[in-house]
Amino acid sequence: MTHTIALTAPAIWNPARVDAENTGERTLDQFLKSVERRALRMAELATGNRDEALDLVQDAMFGFARHYAAKPAADWAPLFYRVLDSRLNDWHRRRNVRSRWLGVWTRNDDDDEHDEIAQAPDTNDPGPLLRLAGNEAAHALDAALGNLPLRQRQAFLLRVWEGFDVAATASTMRCSEGSVKTHLSRALAALRRALEDHA
Amino acid sequence: MNDNVLPPWTDQARSVLDESARALDAATLSRLNRARQAALAQRAPRRRAAWVFLPAGLAGACALLLAVGVWHGRRAPTAIPAQAALAASASGNAVNAGDLDMIASGDDMEMMQDLDFYAWLDVQDQDNNG
Repeated sequence: MTHTIALTAPAIWNPARVDAENTGERTLDQFLKSVERRALRMAELATGNRDEALDLVQDAMFGFARHYAAKPAADWAPLFYRVLDSRLNDWHRRRNVRSRWLGVWTRNDDDDEHDEIAQAPDTNDPGPLLRLAGNEAAHALDAALGNLPLRQRQAFLLRVWEGFDVAATASTMRCSEGSVKTHLSRALAALRRALEDHA
Repeated sequence: MNDNVLPPWTDQARSVLDESARALDAATLSRLNRARQAALAQRAPRRRAAWVFLPAGLAGACALLLAVGVWHGRRAPTAIPAQAALAASASGNAVNAGDLDMIASGDDMEMMQDLDFYAWLDVQDQDNNG
């Protein structure tokens, strides 16, 4: 028996088109297909483990399909990422409890330890990734994202990768817009520093 | 910094992340596909729930009708045996009619089910006739 798997990137999700069509199983399938890869990478960056990331994405898909699939298709993306964000938070809490019991602290996840807003990057600067090429840039970015605290990483990925605006990111992360701006600013500063160190 | 304006280097970060999502291996994509199908499949039973309960509802309604019929029969013991006997003779099934008479008569069912008593009665009859 042979399996055929599409290795091309899934079609870009366009909720405006869906509203005019039926929002049945096929549409839901298309939506989940359009977000699953990014969701997996997001979960993988949070957990550092692909198997756990796959479990979290599957949980998120189940939760989304059960509770939110009946909502308008235009709201699906923020709702799906809200479910995923919730699963990632739960995973993070469980890991912290486990670490506390084991006495192992692998990361410093205290978002409030340093105020890095003053160190926000110059928006006209081409940035640190340009100095890295190909795989090196990917590895450096992975490592830098992996070392960010969860909330900063989520703010960065939702704003930069998903293209959500501040309001949608705040709604997805269930926090204020001010918190999103703070998390994002710190994430940008920390990433820039980490990538410059790598270059 | 404007709230919705991101530094230019984030465009390159987006490209790097897009590439990492495109480069996922076939085994991972297969697992994602299975997860997606499972998530879609778990929605299906909800939609079919009404159809699942329809036969159960019909069976319940039949049981209720039967119970009402039996109860009514016990309340009117003189009317039912005649009707039942008539129906039974029409269908040629006298044994069932007798059963219905017994059920509808309102007599003590425990005594009817006492086979030892009937066996004793049979022996007495044979003794008297013999």
